[in-house]
Formats: sequence, structure tokens, C-alpha cells
Amino acid sequence: MKSAVTTVVSAADAAGRFPSMSDFESVKGSFDRAKARLEAAEKLASCLDKFTNLAVDAVYQNGSYEQANKDKCVRDIHHYLRLINYCLVTGGTGPLDEWGISGMREIIRIQLLPTAAYIEAFIFIRDEIKINDVMSQQAETEFKGLLDYLINALA
Amino acid sequence: MLDAFSRTVVSADAKGAAIGSEDLADLRKYVADANKRIDATLAITQNVSCIAADAVAGMVCENTGLTQPGGHCYPTRRMAACLRDGEIILRYVSYALLAGDPSVLEDRCLNGLKETYLALGVPTSNAIRAVEIMKIATVAIMTETNTGRKMFKGINSGSGAQCKDIAAEAASYFDLVIEALS
Repeated sequence: MKSAVTTVVSAADAAGRFPSMSDFESVKGSFDRAKARLEAAEKLASCLDKFTNLAVDAVYQNGSYEQANKDKCVRDIHHYLRLINYCLVTGGTGPLDEWGISGMREIIRIQLLPTAAYIEAFIFIRDEIKINDVMSQQAETEFKGLLDYLINALA
Repeated sequence: MLDAFSRTVVSADAKGAAIGSEDLADLRKYVADANKRIDATLAITQNVSCIAADAVAGMVCENTGLTQPGGHCYPTRRMAACLRDGEIILRYVSYALLAGDPSVLEDRCLNGLKETYLALGVPTSNAIRAVEIMKIATVAIMTETNTGRKMFKGINSGSGAQCKDIAAEAASYFDLVIEALS
């Protein structure tokens, strides 16, 4: 799975060389950001259920979606937030790409799912929930970056 | 290929759980020890030829028949192949050490290695002995417990004693090689 370290190792292996000084620099560079993203991952893990329920309640409040689907929506939002938690840990979009986004369009098309509901839910988490209360500014930036990435992929 | 981070992700996904404080503690240690890890990897990359050559020389000294006509390291072409393989194993160990996970070593080096050696008629017992010597030499250089001068220049300028934990991890990767050939 793609991360700063595996990218460097793959490139070195393709060239048949040992990891070089510039490889070490790029690995170190990714670790400088690691503190913020590990914090974001930790806080997100503890608020996963809360964020999911707040977002789904907000989306279903205005009555434009069938209440019968609410449980499934909760399950999916929870699933995507878990993948974001994984992305925060790896420091790349690998888990979202491989387990959440690849093949997603096909599934949505075949099952006629309203993607708008998902997008609304994630935009609600990004804009309405006071994420700042649970994590630091830098951690929030990392988390919101991945939310944006997912929203763009769903749109 | 996985690293310490993606390994945690893959095992969390198998349980369908998010990664919380407990699992993150190990990763925070990995991040905090990044400089030591880089130094330990440098200890390998700056001494590749020396470690591989010493190991192969040691293997031959213990079993002088190898370089005699009819031996497995005769003629020089086969001896050279031996040195080359030593360096390849060291390269994959250095990758695994940097990543903090043995998957790259297992997938790209060890998978099928024993079968290849058997098919080529390479005596695995001698290969294992060479890997053992490489393990001892690598750990000694990393922890600066080798006799003589300090053999690598790290970015930490710290002492080799700080690399002790990482050296134990490196030793475990050499053990994987030995296990794969046994």
C-alpha cells in the first residue's frame, strides 16, 4: 500500500539500489507531518460514532431521503470515516483509493444510490461540526483535506 | 508492500475497526525513532561490500573445499554470484528496516529463494552460514560493538548504543532469511 516509505522503497528497488540520502530525507519529511495526522486519527477514532450520527441526523432531518435507508447510510458513512482514519495513519490516500473509491462508481450506478446524501453528510462534517473542539488546528487541516478528497471523488 | 503504518491499517481493516490510541502508540514510537532507524539503515548501506565480502570469506574459510575445483564457489564466476546475492539480501534487509516491516523482504526476495537455490544446486547450508555472519556483522556495526573504528556516519551523531532496539529488529529480518532457506 502506498505511503511515503513504500514509494521510496519501490523506486529504490526498481533501480536496484540501496536507499540513498535523498530517500532518507523524503522519509523524514513525511514524519514531520506525522504528529498532526496521528493525532487526527486518534481523535477521529474516538468521535467516529458521534460524527456519523450527527451527520446522518442532519441529512435525514429535512425529509428528502427515505427514512428506511438511514441505517445503511449510517453504515456507509461510518465505513468511509474509518477509511479516512486509515489514510491519516498511512499518510496517503491509499486506503480510501483501494477500499473506498475504486469500484465505487460502478456500485453506485448499478444500485441507483443517491450520492448526494453522502456528499451532504461529509460536507456537514467538514463545515458544521466543530472539529476544532476535539483536535488541534493542524490535525483538523489533515482531516479536512481527506474529507475534501472524498467529497471530490464522490461528486 | 507494507510499512509499519500500512501494516497497522491492514490488520485494523481485518477487524473492521478504526485505529485508536492503543495501536497508535507503536506508530508514535516508530516516528520518534525515525532518526535512529535511518542511522541503522545507513550502517548497512555504508558497509555493504564489507559485510557481504566478509561473510562470504568467512563461509569459505570454514569450508575451504568450496573454492577448490569441484567446490560450489569454483570458479570465480560462482564466487562472484555468491557476493552478489549477499548484497541483494542486504539491500532487501535495508528496505525492510527502513519500512519497519518485513513484507518487502518476504515478497520480493525470500519468496521462492530456497527453491531457486535448490534448482541451481546452491548448498543452502553454506548460504545460511553466510547470512548468519552478515547478521552478526550488521548488528555489531550498528551498535558500534565491532572491534576497531566506528564504521558508519549517521545523521544523528549519536552513539550506536541508541540503535540497539533497531539492531534487534534488523537481526530479526536476517533470521527471516535464515528461516526461509532452512
